Amino acid sequence: KLTYFDGRGRGEVARQLFHLSGVPFEDNRIPMAEWPAHKASMPFGKMPLLEVNGKPLPQSYAIFRYLAREFGFVGDSPFAAAWVDAVADQFKDYFDEIKSLLFVHFGFAQGDKEKMMKDVAIPARDKFFPMLEKIAKDNHNNGHFVGASLTWVDLLIAEHVSVLLKYMPGFLNDYPTVLSTVKKINSIPKLKEWIDKRPDSTF
Amino acid sequence: MPKYTLHYFDMRGLGELCRQIFALAEVDFEDKRYDMEKEWPAFKSQTPFRQLPVLEVDGKFIPQLYAHCRMLATEHGFAGKTPFDAAWVDAIADQHKDFYWGDFKKFWWRALDAAEGDLVHEELKTKFGIPERDKFFPLIEKQLTETGTGFLVGDSVTWADLLISEHVSVIVRVVPGFLDAFPETKKHAEKIRTIPQIAKWIERRPVTAH
Repeated sequence: KLTYFDGRGRGEVARQLFHLSGVPFEDNRIPMAEWPAHKASMPFGKMPLLEVNGKPLPQSYAIFRYLAREFGFVGDSPFAAAWVDAVADQFKDYFDEIKSLLFVHFGFAQGDKEKMMKDVAIPARDKFFPMLEKIAKDNHNNGHFVGASLTWVDLLIAEHVSVLLKYMPGFLNDYPTVLSTVKKINSIPKLKEWIDKRPDSTF
Repeated sequence: MPKYTLHYFDMRGLGELCRQIFALAEVDFEDKRYDMEKEWPAFKSQTPFRQLPVLEVDGKFIPQLYAHCRMLATEHGFAGKTPFDAAWVDAIADQHKDFYWGDFKKFWWRALDAAEGDLVHEELKTKFGIPERDKFFPLIEKQLTETGTGFLVGDSVTWADLLISEHVSVIVRVVPGFLDAFPETKKHAEKIRTIPQIAKWIERRPVTAH
């Protein structure tokens, strides 16, 4: 059972892993207004929360990695799995820098979008995306960021890039290999099927 | 056995976790320490993400400390005995990361070098140090109380124990009394540091300010 807000946010990669593997799960979506009542019952006071036969597991990346291991999306060797983790953690650092602007786009906060684009988003992008572009190129532009098969970091980045393309078109024009990798990921049949039918949300 | 080199600065900092895993596993590694001003700029462009620490395994780099620490710990049996336990080790480590790099940082980085009577330090402690402490350490207390084993996850030492105990031992030294409301946490840090391989490493590691 996955418990999260009624949006993609920090829960979507877990949902995608379930849909890709064909393993059924309870997609428990909590409306914003009801969240305060649930907070105290969460081990770390936050969502997403995964429950496995009733046993709770918090922290989004711990959840993604656990499911990816169970379902075979963690990388094809310990070294590859470590690189999947490294790219994901580097992405997390970048996301922490850019999220303040995204929250304004999602309607969670007020802010001057143009100023934040200049002061926050562009510097964050220019630190991270050249490295990611190189990673995709060094991986032979094969449609994955690490290795030769789908891993959870592919899903993590593809979801974020889709958000950027929606709210900030043109933002990643300098990173064609990243864009083509994301396009390939999003056209994986089982993933595309979920993307086409999932509930809509701003975030 | 692969040839391991840990590349980091001459401090404990973000490199200490990996060194302690090597010590615990009793695996040899080259402990390469870079002078921040004289040597790091030249090496920086060779690293995948322009950051340290980087672990080198048979000539290939793995950046991001949790990524290479998890790989090492998993290989040597210090990442939890089941996949679910391993996930809880990851969750505790990520929760600590959120705590350490969030608002607590505004107090902690000042505290590390604060002199006696530093008023800014006291102000930051009230504004950030105490509230953030009181959000994070109850989770550690609860976890230790629930396992009852002296370890954070399951009944054996994991890299989460090393991560938390190292930070706690520095807090206890730098801000005496700061964790007095968290007795299990303090006991845990003391116990982890008595594990023979860890105690031996602490004894012989270079002494650095941070």
